[in-house]
Amino acid sequence: MFGRKSKSDHPRPDENFEPYEEFSGIPMPVYWIAIALAAWGAFMLYDTGKDVTLAQDERVEERAVQISADQGEGGNLFVANCSTCHQPDGEGLRGAVPPLAGSEVLAAGPEIVARILLRGIDGPIRVGGDDFDGHMPSFASALNDDEISRIASYVTLTFGETDAKLDPKRVADLRHEVGDAGSFAGGAELATIVTSMPPQPPHPAPTAADAMTATVQDLVFAGRDDVWACASCHGDLGQGGENTPRLAGQPAKYLTKQLNDFRDGTRDNESMQIVAAGLSDAETAALGAYFATLRATSNASPNLSADLARGERLALQGDWSLGVPACFTCHGSSGFGVAPDFPALAAQHAPYTASQLAAWAGGGRQNSPLGLMSQISQALSSQDRRAVADYLASLPPVPAGRTASAQEGTSNAE
Amino acid sequence: MNRYLPLSILALAILAFATLMLVIAPGIQIDARNVPEGLRNYTQAEQNGRDVYVAMGCVYCHSQQPRSPDQAPDGERGWGRPSVASDYAFDAPHQLGTMRTGPDLLNVGARLPSEGWHLTHLYQPRAIFDWSIMPAYPFLFERKDRAAPSDTVVTLPPAYAPESGVIVARRDALDLVAYLRALDRTYPSPTDALRDDGYASGPAAEDPNASEGDS
Repeated sequence: MFGRKSKSDHPRPDENFEPYEEFSGIPMPVYWIAIALAAWGAFMLYDTGKDVTLAQDERVEERAVQISADQGEGGNLFVANCSTCHQPDGEGLRGAVPPLAGSEVLAAGPEIVARILLRGIDGPIRVGGDDFDGHMPSFASALNDDEISRIASYVTLTFGETDAKLDPKRVADLRHEVGDAGSFAGGAELATIVTSMPPQPPHPAPTAADAMTATVQDLVFAGRDDVWACASCHGDLGQGGENTPRLAGQPAKYLTKQLNDFRDGTRDNESMQIVAAGLSDAETAALGAYFATLRATSNASPNLSADLARGERLALQGDWSLGVPACFTCHGSSGFGVAPDFPALAAQHAPYTASQLAAWAGGGRQNSPLGLMSQISQALSSQDRRAVADYLASLPPVPAGRTASAQEGTSNAE
Repeated sequence: MNRYLPLSILALAILAFATLMLVIAPGIQIDARNVPEGLRNYTQAEQNGRDVYVAMGCVYCHSQQPRSPDQAPDGERGWGRPSVASDYAFDAPHQLGTMRTGPDLLNVGARLPSEGWHLTHLYQPRAIFDWSIMPAYPFLFERKDRAAPSDTVVTLPPAYAPESGVIVARRDALDLVAYLRALDRTYPSPTDALRDDGYASGPAAEDPNASEGDS
């Protein structure tokens, strides 16, 4: 149609005619726009360049803060790291946490305190005439030499009334000397270097070898025809990684319940449902007991770039404006878990904690007693979930499982 | 338009400028970065596995670039911290990918270090996830009546196991799994790391509470 119309409207041009365009200057607005764009580009380049250096500086600072966590004098460090268990007044908790005030250990001076901070205690200990299940974490990974020296000096000065100062350099030597000796095996081992301690209860710690039957060994390290080995994902010490959870030192009954829940389909996870499907009740119980005895240093790190201070507030105090109680009210001070229902949270991998909180909130996981965790998780924003997961990942792992199961044992016996 | 010389000079100049800004300048910027502490080169087996990864076109469905928390909840998915340029020091060509039909794999070795799991999953993803849309790779495996001592037998649920004999992994499958297990960039990112700070920089980053109020 158009073709015919144009034919009729315009006479056909001469065959030799070459179309051309007369020269005309570029309109001024085009120049303006080009110049404006160039200026804008240059400005943005400069501006984002500034942002990049700013962000880099911030990260360097953040790292420095994380490494040295300079929280002022020993008193503040004590409040931040020790008082959740030992209480701000150093009186401890009757039957659970030994007192610092009047403790025979402190009389031995700050160097012993530093050794205990570096190694932790894992076994029964007698302080001030009372017996305790010692399950103090090692702070070697969480605190630096300077911080340990300040806490040790503060603790001995305040509760032991010995005003000997400890030099950070000496702590560095101690750290080197301690190496990877692991936790003190209860008061019995501690008494070998602290002569002022009273006679200590014997250390009956069942080692991993005791819980290690042939069946468990096969399941953990070799798997079966139709299931993979536990250790192939969770690590040979049950340390886990990213969103594969840390199992070492979890309450035995908690682990057994989770395995049974996977088997019944009460808890969702495709890989774990396959693994658990072939396990008998005896085997889930044996596996729970085995992983409860394991001790692994923390390989978790706060890697979700969340607000650690907010996480600490949630873990220690909760947020009652949201109706969220402190994590530690149920999961034990320092998040070491309370057998049989409350798993240890300290040193759990941040992605795992955050993803489980999200699963509770979204209904993907529903196997908590009384639906407690669903309510709490729904009240938390995604930033809060990340923050609390990051904070818990930054804590030192607490050797809780054995003592927790020992408590169960004694309470059953009673 | 018959002034060919200025036209071609201008075209080449534009190309040269783009090459300078998009290839040469970033190249200089990246070359100055050191290999981060905690990253090692691939072994021969892992390198072979990487070639299998490339040949199978894994990159079309799997990215290898965890994003920052401002952009996606990759950290909570267990996919790892935001990656930085030096994380790819030994990856040539990199397998960044753009599609996320499947999960990001840059840290799959950290969250799923099990060789057995990966072999099962490569042989038949539906054996583990009945909803999975990932293709199966049975041609990386072979059925044998009896496994030789050096063979790696694939763990399979009864529904997917062969009627008789066993499924063993070929060299390619083992190498691919070795490569997947080597994908672990969970070491802390270097403080001088080059990365896209995107919307994270600026006022929001200075006041974390401000961003909390937004969502």
